[in-house]
Amino acid sequence: MATLTDNRKSGGYQFPGKKSKGEIIVDWITTTDHKKIGYLYLITSFIYFLIGGVMALVIRAQLTLPGLDIVQTKEQYNQLFTMHGTIMLLMFATPLFAGFANVLMPVQIGAPDVAFPRLNAIAFWFFFFGSLVAVSGFFTPQGAASFGWFAYAPLSNTTFSPGIGGDLWVFGLALSGFGTIMGGVNFITTILTMRAPGMTMFRMPIFTWNTLVTSILVIMAFPPLAAALFALGADRRFGAHIFDPVNGGPMLWQHLFWFFGHPEVYIIALPFFGIVSEIFPVFSRKPVFGYKTLIFATIAIAALSMTVWAHHMYVTGSVLLPFFAFTTMLIAVPTGVKIFNWIGTMWRGSITFETPMLYSLGFLTTFIFGGLTGVILASPPLTFHLSDSYFVVAHFHYVVFGTVVFAMFAGFFFWWPKFTGKMLDERLGKIQFWLLFFGFHITFLIQHWLGVIGMPRRYATYLPEDGFTWMNMVSTSGSVLLALSMIPFLWNLYVTARRAPTVSLDDPWGYGRSLEWATSSPFPRHNFHSIPRIRSESPAFDLHHPEHASAEAKAAANEDRK
Amino acid sequence: MKKRSKWLAIPAASALVLLLTGCTDQLVRGFLPGVPGVTNHTDRITGLWTTAWIILWLVGIIAWALMAWAIVVYRRRKGDTGMPAQLRYNNPIEVLFTVIPLILVIGFFAFTARDIAAIEQPTENPDVVIEVIGKQWSWDFNYVDANVYESGIQAQFEGQTGVPETLPALYLPVGKTVQIDLRSRDVIHSFWVIDFLYKKDMFPGKTNHMYFTPQVEGTYMGKCAELCGEYHSMMLFQVKVVSQPEYDSYLASLAAKGQTGQLDASLDRNQNLPGDDPEIRD
Repeated sequence: MATLTDNRKSGGYQFPGKKSKGEIIVDWITTTDHKKIGYLYLITSFIYFLIGGVMALVIRAQLTLPGLDIVQTKEQYNQLFTMHGTIMLLMFATPLFAGFANVLMPVQIGAPDVAFPRLNAIAFWFFFFGSLVAVSGFFTPQGAASFGWFAYAPLSNTTFSPGIGGDLWVFGLALSGFGTIMGGVNFITTILTMRAPGMTMFRMPIFTWNTLVTSILVIMAFPPLAAALFALGADRRFGAHIFDPVNGGPMLWQHLFWFFGHPEVYIIALPFFGIVSEIFPVFSRKPVFGYKTLIFATIAIAALSMTVWAHHMYVTGSVLLPFFAFTTMLIAVPTGVKIFNWIGTMWRGSITFETPMLYSLGFLTTFIFGGLTGVILASPPLTFHLSDSYFVVAHFHYVVFGTVVFAMFAGFFFWWPKFTGKMLDERLGKIQFWLLFFGFHITFLIQHWLGVIGMPRRYATYLPEDGFTWMNMVSTSGSVLLALSMIPFLWNLYVTARRAPTVSLDDPWGYGRSLEWATSSPFPRHNFHSIPRIRSESPAFDLHHPEHASAEAKAAANEDRK
Repeated sequence: MKKRSKWLAIPAASALVLLLTGCTDQLVRGFLPGVPGVTNHTDRITGLWTTAWIILWLVGIIAWALMAWAIVVYRRRKGDTGMPAQLRYNNPIEVLFTVIPLILVIGFFAFTARDIAAIEQPTENPDVVIEVIGKQWSWDFNYVDANVYESGIQAQFEGQTGVPETLPALYLPVGKTVQIDLRSRDVIHSFWVIDFLYKKDMFPGKTNHMYFTPQVEGTYMGKCAELCGEYHSMMLFQVKVVSQPEYDSYLASLAAKGQTGQLDASLDRNQNLPGDDPEIRD
């Protein structure tokens, strides 16, 4: 917190005199500044990341050997993986997107704030209190929700999950979901109406484009979730029978949930594709390769992602398998286009390996494998065997952890000077990267084999005869390494806040391209003292390296001079 | 002729190496559990699995290799100054890496669609019809043709060995076409016989079916694969594929124990919900 608030000296916020602690707190909880709200999102979601991570460690500890009793009851184990999934998806990854988008998107389009600053604030507080309600189940006698983060009916009704934790989960997520919807509306409006002069749609940074596409997905996917949650809440509290088996309720819930759930995966992936799309060009010293192709690929992924929800339901015996198999496989095409565009950005570049670049490369390495297993899982004959096994667990951790966590750290290291005016320590960052990289792959690579030989997900224990033991031991030891990688990062935050010198440059990396690199570090209160001419998709680069600007930017500059 | 034999020698030698390493069998099956031909579908699934992986590994290796090449060859060396060429687009390349994946995907889909049709094809007049009912946290097996049943009890274990032999067992006659009807008494379960490489969900209020022919005698592990509550991980069973005489004597032993008739929907839970009358439902 201190690093984020104490930037008065560096020419950031110009407060009249020193503020008392109380004033600072009131300032933060009443703020409508998009950057401060963004920081609130980033801080809150990172804390949830740590909490969800500790739960994952307990889960891994429980599975180290067959028949362990690390958690007292299997009910508690079910609560742990339910809340691990819920926290990581809806309290970490989704608000993390809102955090990055809030801080950066207005700056990247040259706007002083978002379109609806107060809506922005209430969206954050809806998320904040909604999440608090959902996790508060841990403090009730029967514990938190334990029916899995996809809450399949009828397990999620009061007959089979009577605890108050389930109610808190349902209504907490509904509240927080409204926050997410408001955020999406806000981002779309801001991008469509508040771009600076010269910032045409096809000059927007890829991150802003992905924020736009993600927000459109949010307003399509979250309302069905809200509706489904309220219906489930009515079933639980008011004796409704919406998800009663007698009227096909279990399938109805699965359709509603996955109609949200699959786009949700892309809601948390696309913004982080955006982050690495910003980073590869800077450290390759080249513009992004195939800028428009990348945007069309993003749009294609988003459009297809609305048509594939039932690939989570292949083994229900109630969905049209060939249709969902084909649409799911098609997603591989635009995703592949993105991967080759990122490689193309590095091709014949002049690449350096600062921590943000290292994390982006870690993302790419990991994500490629997640993509391959995704194609396998698109095929129902193979998924009949793999569904609900550790193969699926491994697959989505490759995709989601590979994207969200690797790109999050890439983004933190990349934009930290813009957030705070200080650079995070590179050496600690690299130590952290290698710990995280090996920790992650040791934990999750082996889980593919575990799934193939028959370990179901959500099992609190297993038999010695299953032959899962040594693989689980490998996985658990990897998770310890993964957890250790957080220590250099937290230490990094501390030493940077205490000791790092303030950067005086607009662009400390030297090759930044989008508008945030053309304003001071940290950002001034209204983002810019002056905005440079925007003549291409790289306005800051055109400003700092005019001799290497694109042909059309040079032509426009000459036109201006005449 | 000589040249050709040289080229043939490479796959032959690598096959030999694989053969000698011992884990060939597993590797050839792509680490899938079981042995060839466990059911009439598993070889088809194994074939699709291994072929898909070979192509995907090729794609993956190309992508990783290009990435590694870029990292090594295009790194900024000490003393480098200036800027690389600011290339923005290269249309032929971009068309190439859109069209090739599209072709691969369409090919993969063709084989997938073929195999879905084969696996999900109902068997007409199956030799054996068995109803398996999931319940928290075990299984009821109704042998429909013989009108006998077996009721499973949830496993209890704390990491000790010897549990599999105590699990409820589903008997199947080898080489006979089987239809299994799947349903549930309470929440959603999923019927997964690991070595059969197939699972299907069991829903309350809805009957699912699976069709196959077990071809290799043996004992196979079965598990519930859909979260169904606290003891989900203890909802285990075994499948014993036996010869027809053994199968008949097992059914006779059930009848001798007095387990005749069927465990029907009257044992379902949640019967007091409005509209949830089993008679209306069936």
